[in-house]
Amino acid sequence: MSDLEVNVESALRALEGYGQAEAYGLESVIHTVYVDGTRISNIETKRESGLMVRMADGGRQGKSSVTIGGDSSVKECVRMAEAVIRHSPEGPAVRYAEPGSARISDPGVWDGRVEDVTPDVLREMAQRLIDSCGVDIPRAQIRVSTNVSRVMNSNGVDVGHRSTLVYGHFTSMFRGEQPGEGVETFHGTHLDIPIEDIGASLARQARDSASAKGFEGHESLSMILPPGQLGDMLMSSVGAAVNGENVKYGRSLWKDSVGQEVASDCVSMTDDPTVPAPLSCVFDDEGTPACRKPVIEGGVLRTFLRDSFCGDSTGNGMRRSSVEAMGAYERTPIVKPLNLVVSPGNLTRERMIEQTDRGILVERFANPEADELSGRFGLNVRCGYLIRNGEVVGVVNNSLLMGNMFDAIRSVEMIGSDLTQTGVISTPTMSFSGAELVGN
Amino acid sequence: MRAEEAQDVLHQAVDRMRDLGAVFADARSQTVRVAGATTINGNLKQLVEKSTGGVCLRAWGGSRWGYGTATSFDRDAVLRAAEEAVSNSRDDSAVRLDLEPAVSRGDHRADVRVHPDSVDLDEKIQAALDLDRAQAIDDRVINRTGAYSEEVKTNALVNSAGSDVSWEEVRTICRAMSIAADGQRMEQYYDGPDSTRGFEVVRDADLEEIGRNAAREAIVTLSADRAPSGNMTVISDPMVSGLLAHEAMGHASEGDEITKRRSFLTDAVGRKVASDLITMYDDGTVPGAHGSIRFDDEGTPASKVTIIDHGVYQGYMHSLETASRLGVHPTGNGRAENAGKRVWVRMTNTFFGPGDWDRDELIADTKEGILCDKMLNGMEDPVGGCFEAKCLRGYLVRNGEIVKPVQSFTLTGKSIDILSSVDALSKEVLLDGGMCGKGIEDWVRVSTGGPYMRARMIVGGGQ
Repeated sequence: MSDLEVNVESALRALEGYGQAEAYGLESVIHTVYVDGTRISNIETKRESGLMVRMADGGRQGKSSVTIGGDSSVKECVRMAEAVIRHSPEGPAVRYAEPGSARISDPGVWDGRVEDVTPDVLREMAQRLIDSCGVDIPRAQIRVSTNVSRVMNSNGVDVGHRSTLVYGHFTSMFRGEQPGEGVETFHGTHLDIPIEDIGASLARQARDSASAKGFEGHESLSMILPPGQLGDMLMSSVGAAVNGENVKYGRSLWKDSVGQEVASDCVSMTDDPTVPAPLSCVFDDEGTPACRKPVIEGGVLRTFLRDSFCGDSTGNGMRRSSVEAMGAYERTPIVKPLNLVVSPGNLTRERMIEQTDRGILVERFANPEADELSGRFGLNVRCGYLIRNGEVVGVVNNSLLMGNMFDAIRSVEMIGSDLTQTGVISTPTMSFSGAELVGN
Repeated sequence: MRAEEAQDVLHQAVDRMRDLGAVFADARSQTVRVAGATTINGNLKQLVEKSTGGVCLRAWGGSRWGYGTATSFDRDAVLRAAEEAVSNSRDDSAVRLDLEPAVSRGDHRADVRVHPDSVDLDEKIQAALDLDRAQAIDDRVINRTGAYSEEVKTNALVNSAGSDVSWEEVRTICRAMSIAADGQRMEQYYDGPDSTRGFEVVRDADLEEIGRNAAREAIVTLSADRAPSGNMTVISDPMVSGLLAHEAMGHASEGDEITKRRSFLTDAVGRKVASDLITMYDDGTVPGAHGSIRFDDEGTPASKVTIIDHGVYQGYMHSLETASRLGVHPTGNGRAENAGKRVWVRMTNTFFGPGDWDRDELIADTKEGILCDKMLNGMEDPVGGCFEAKCLRGYLVRNGEIVKPVQSFTLTGKSIDILSSVDALSKEVLLDGGMCGKGIEDWVRVSTGGPYMRARMIVGGGQ
C-alpha cells in the first residue's frame, strides 16, 4: 500500500465516531521550465503530498489540511480538525458523497511520458519554442505533472484517481516602431504540445498586434470570439449560472430556468468527462460517479451542476485545478464543470469573417471575463480585427468592447468548427450580435 | 523537529549545493497556518484550520536558477531536492553573473498587538457571524456573506552568502459581502479591513457598520444606471487610484520586465511620465499594510522604492538577479507565492502620494465626470503601456454634484497619457489589500492605494 493510501485510511479511521467524515489525499510530482527574455531561466522539480479531512456531527463541522511532512502529519491534521469542530456552531446538516458505481469508462488521462519527463526533455521543448517563434519570447512556461489522489468517506466512498496534466502559457513580443505582443496557452493531459504551431502563432500575433491602432469613436457591431477568449467569458457567465451553489443561494440568473430557452437554438453544451481533458475523471474529487450530461440542448437549459454541498450531486465536486497540480488538497470541493464542451458548427474562422458585415474579431482581451451575477462586460481589447463587409480592414487596440454575455448567448450568429480546449471548457469560435466598441 | 535542527538541515542543503557547483544557493522553509470562518445567510459555510509548507532549494548556476522542493525537513528529502536544484541550474551559457545578496540574520516576530494564536476560535467565528447578521437590513439582500481569515507565515532562510534569518508574517482579514436582488437585477457590494496587524484589526473594527454598509450599498446599486462610455473625466477613489498605480505603472516597473526589455518603461529613468502632481512608491515597510513584508523571499530587507517623483520616472523594483543584471542594489521585491513557487520581482504596497484637495472640493470642481467607487480587478500591459481597471460601481458627477449611481464599468487608456492628464489629488491617501498575480498565476499579497485623483481616460460598461 502506498503512503497516500495509508495516510487516507488512517485519517478516516481516526475520525470514526463522527456522523460524517471524509479524508482526501493527493501526491503530485511537478516539472516546470520557464523562459524569460527568450532564454531558459528556471527549471523546477517539485514534489507535493497533502491531506484534507472533513467531518460533521449533524450541523457542526470541522475541517483541516496539512502538507504531509512526516509521520505525525496525519495526527496533526485530525487534531486540528477536532479542535475546529469543538467550536463549530450548529447549522444545516452536512452529508458527504454517497458511494456509487462508475458510470463511464476511464477517459484516458494518464500519459506515461509525463511520468518519465526529465529536465532535459523540458529544456529541449523550451528551446524548440524559442527556435520556432522568430520573435522574442519575454515569458513562457511549460508545466507537466503527475497527480495521484484517493478519497474515502464514512458513507463508504473509496475511490482513487490518477492523471497527468500538461499546461503551457506562452507570450511573444515583436520589437518594431510600436511593440506587439502575442499570447498562447495549452491545456491538456498528454505531452502533445504543438510547439512549432504555437511558435508560429505567437510570431503572427505579435506582428499583427504591432500594427494595431487605437480605435476612435463608438459603434455597435458583431463580436467574433475565438476559443482562447470565449472560454473564460462563458465560464464566468454560463458557468456561474449553472453552478448549483449559486442556484441554491438564489444568485443565478437562471435559477428557475430549467426547461426554458436560455440561449439561441444553435447552442448546445455538454459536460463530458468521457474524453481526455484536464479534469475528466470517473469519480469527482468527493468520490461521486461522474457522467456525461447535457447542460444546454438546442438553447434549452437542461440541468445544473452540483456537488455534495448542493445535494443530489451530479459528480462535479472538484478540488483539482485544470492548470496547476499544487495545492489541490487544501481546497474544499467546489462545483466545476469537468469538461464543458460547446457543440461546434461547421464554419472556418475565415468563412465567419466573410459572412460578417460589421464586426470585430478579438484576438486578445486584457482579461476576458463577464460579471457572474449580471453577465455585463466591458473589456480592454489588446488586439482586434475590424471587419467591414466580410473583410478585415484594420487592427485595433486600446478600446473597450461592451455587452452582456447572457444576452450574447441568445444572439449567436455563427459557430465555428475549431473546437479548442481552454481549461475546463472546450469551445469553438463563435459570433454574437449586439456588442459595442468604444475608443477615444 | 526543533527549529535549530530544521535550520541545520537548511545549512546542509546550502553546503551540498555549493559543493555540487552552485555559484550561489539558498534554502528557504515556510510554514503557513491558516484559520478561517465563512458564513452565509446566518449559517456557517466553512470553518477551517490548515497548516501547509515546505522547503525550497534554489541554486544559481551563473545564468539560470534551478529549483527543487521538499515537503518536510527530512534530511534525505531535502538533500535530494538540493541535488535536483543544482542539476536544474546547469547551463553551458558563457555569460556568468554574480549576485550580491544582503546578509540577513536574526529571528524576527510579527509586530502585532493581539496575536491570532492567542484568540479563541469562538471569537473569530463570532466576527464572521456579526458581519453576516449586520447585513440583514432588507429583504432585497438575498446573500449575506461574513468572512474572517488569518494567516501566520513562518519563514526561515539560509544562503551561501551567510544569511541565517527567520521571520514571521501575520495577516488578518474581515469581509462583508452583500448581494441584493429586486427580481430583475442582482448587484453586489463589499467592505472590510485587511492588515498585517493581529486580531486587534477585528476588535478595533465596527463590524456592525461594515456589514450594514455593504448591504445598504448593494441595495443602492440596484437603482444604478448603465455607465456612460467614451473618453471622459474620471475621479478615481483611493482603491481605483491604487489599481491604476499597480496596473498602469507598477507591473511595468518590475525589474525583470526591464532586464528583458519588455516594459514600456525600459530606459525611462529621468523621463517625464506623469503630471508634476504625481509621486508614486512601492513601499514594503508601511506599518500594518497588507502587502508589507520584513524580508522578501530572498532574505533582502523590504524597502521604499520611489518610482515616480513629481512626474519624473525614478527607477525599478528588483530581485537579486535583476539588480545584478542592471548593476544596482536589490530592493526587497523578490517574492514567491509559497515555498513551492519561484521567486521573481513583485510589488508590495504600491501607491500614489497625496495632493492638497479635499474630496468634496474635487467633486465640486468637476463639471462633468464619473466618480469611481471600489475596484473589481485590473490587468497590466507592460508591452503596450496601457492598462485595464474594472470598477465595482460609480456615480455620475454634473456641475459639481453627485447625480446618480452607475453600474460596474471599466477604465482603460495609455498609462502615460492618463497620468499626464492628472490635475487634482486629494490630501487623503488610503491603502487597500488584495492579491496580485503575475501573468496568470503566482499570487502574492499586496496593497494598492492613493488619493482621490482626477484624470481623463476611456470609460465603458456593459448593460
